Amino acid sequence: MQLSDRVTGLFMIALGVLAAYGGSRLPPVPGQQIGPNVFPLVVGIGLAICGGMIAFGVGHHYEQEAEADLAKISGQIATGTGDGDEPSPWWRGLKALVPPGLLLFYVVAVDRLGFLPTAAVMVLITSVALGARLRLAVPLAIGAPLFVNLVFSKLLRVPLPSGLLPLPWLGLP
Amino acid sequence: MSTVIDAFSLVLQTDVLVAILLASIYGLVVGSLPGLSATMATALLVPVTFYLSPIAAVATIIAASAMAIFSGDIPGALLRIPGTPASAAYTDEAYAMTRKGQPELALGICVWFSALGGIAGTISLMALAPPLAEMALNFSTYEYFWLAFLGLMCATMVARSSPVKAIASMLIGLLVSCVGIENPGGTPRFTFGSTDLLGGIEPIPALVGVFAVSEVMRAMLTSEPPKLPYRRFGSILAGQWALTKEYLLPQMRGNIVGIIIGVLPGAGADMAAWVSYSMSKRFSKEPEKFGTGHPEGLIEAGASNNASLASGWVPSLLFGIPGDTITAIAIGVLYMKGLNPGPTLFSERASSMYALYIIFILANIIMIPLGIIMIRAAALVLRAPRAAVMPVIVLLCAVGAFATGNNLFAVATVAAFGVIGFVMERNGYPVAAMVLGIVMGTMVEQAFVTSLIKSDGSILPFFSRPVAAVLAAMTIAALLWPLGVWTWTWLRRVA
Repeated sequence: MQLSDRVTGLFMIALGVLAAYGGSRLPPVPGQQIGPNVFPLVVGIGLAICGGMIAFGVGHHYEQEAEADLAKISGQIATGTGDGDEPSPWWRGLKALVPPGLLLFYVVAVDRLGFLPTAAVMVLITSVALGARLRLAVPLAIGAPLFVNLVFSKLLRVPLPSGLLPLPWLGLP
Repeated sequence: MSTVIDAFSLVLQTDVLVAILLASIYGLVVGSLPGLSATMATALLVPVTFYLSPIAAVATIIAASAMAIFSGDIPGALLRIPGTPASAAYTDEAYAMTRKGQPELALGICVWFSALGGIAGTISLMALAPPLAEMALNFSTYEYFWLAFLGLMCATMVARSSPVKAIASMLIGLLVSCVGIENPGGTPRFTFGSTDLLGGIEPIPALVGVFAVSEVMRAMLTSEPPKLPYRRFGSILAGQWALTKEYLLPQMRGNIVGIIIGVLPGAGADMAAWVSYSMSKRFSKEPEKFGTGHPEGLIEAGASNNASLASGWVPSLLFGIPGDTITAIAIGVLYMKGLNPGPTLFSERASSMYALYIIFILANIIMIPLGIIMIRAAALVLRAPRAAVMPVIVLLCAVGAFATGNNLFAVATVAAFGVIGFVMERNGYPVAAMVLGIVMGTMVEQAFVTSLIKSDGSILPFFSRPVAAVLAAMTIAALLWPLGVWTWTWLRRVA
């Protein structure tokens, strides 16, 4: 997801203008000039100005300096797709969306499936996506959710939904 | 005197001591794993702190963050991969020492001077906080507004990126804090009809997303770091006392620079290490030795990043303005535990403050034995495959965010901020500045709007009080700084 400064700058302008516009339409507090509209207005205008400056490349040389510094020390760490030297297929970049995707899956599924199955799916997929063999991923997918569940429901008393897999013999609801 | 005794009795509780020990071990392990930063360690600790006593909660954060900052040096020295960003500045130097066959010396410097730096930072906290609190008691909303504004500007000035992008990130953070019903009018603002957004976007899930989820996302795209070969270490602390005497001046300079950077809002341990390392090189009598495994820079920067950690608590405790990303999280915990930041904290809850100092000192002392154990166990810990660690992190993000409010919307927030943090980082927008905006947004708005209402919409009173005027001048200078630099380079290009 490396975008040019022009694109991100224009996005900032759009966001700033929208925020300022949205803010200005908020109802004022009766009998007062200053209300909930002022702050978004100020922030939105500031953001739009910054966006304009970014789109014109103001301050870009600072980034190059910082990158040169970092490149010096991280020379040995293999860089990922996007800024790596070797081209990789476009779908490799989509792998980055696995963790947030799994979190959304958790939101949707945890009440229906229960914590243990949902968590097991999450751990299994993350682990396999990072290149683990099934010999590691499967035991981890069984063990880690159980451990987390025990810690959170027993020690911290956070109720986690049991769903399809209640384990009364472990003291889990 | 009785407050000091009270403080000791607060710290010497079993739950506090156990919390310090466990948090230390946790911090050491997380900090040493490349890709897991000290901030992330702290963010994942928050749900646990909910269920601890106030002092134990603060103790876990102090201990875990101090240990993680030191322990990030271990893979830096042994593998040339910094465990946390705060170690990045001197990783090359430490690794060069390992290649010269002195890994014990390099790691010994890291642990010994980290601990000394941490203690120096604590002393600065003890010395600076009470007089500043005295002064802050006279502050009105105008001063608070400028102070918060100045804090936000500092965060953008010291970011290792384009200052314009940093300001944009900070403004995005402020915009995020606008969401919800908690505004001067009490009207739903930017909630788009969603009831979940009425309460606003909580800083903790946002922080977890930005610092933990986006880190896992990055791991998806990079290859696994190399494994650490097993090796036997000699004595870790041998020769450290001689080095302390030999490099007393660089060490002191590191401590002081670290303290100053820590006090500056938003600038934390990583910044302190970069500045101290380059300063050490500039003022050294033998700058040509830097980069070849010379201890001087390592001592100065290693002391500096740990010193900044303690002094980062000064603005956090006094004004609720985070000194770095770690204290940004800590402030949330302080509010939750009824230790609301503010100058009165030092008069009304004096024993809690003393307890905090004691915990800092204690954490930095036990850093030495625990750190040595960690160094010896490093080969074992660093053998943990990333494919086993990262899934657990994802799981903890989900459950931890859920635990902060017992609602699933927080988990969705974590996912969203993971993506936002990832995209911003990739495009050179510093996420720390955004985080600061989110944490301080409500406070900035409150001070701003209250001041405007008091002054009846006039700008003049913002500058008429003496302290406010000084703070205003500093803020405006910080604001115009990128513009000035840009004009300067443009003029030079034209000439």
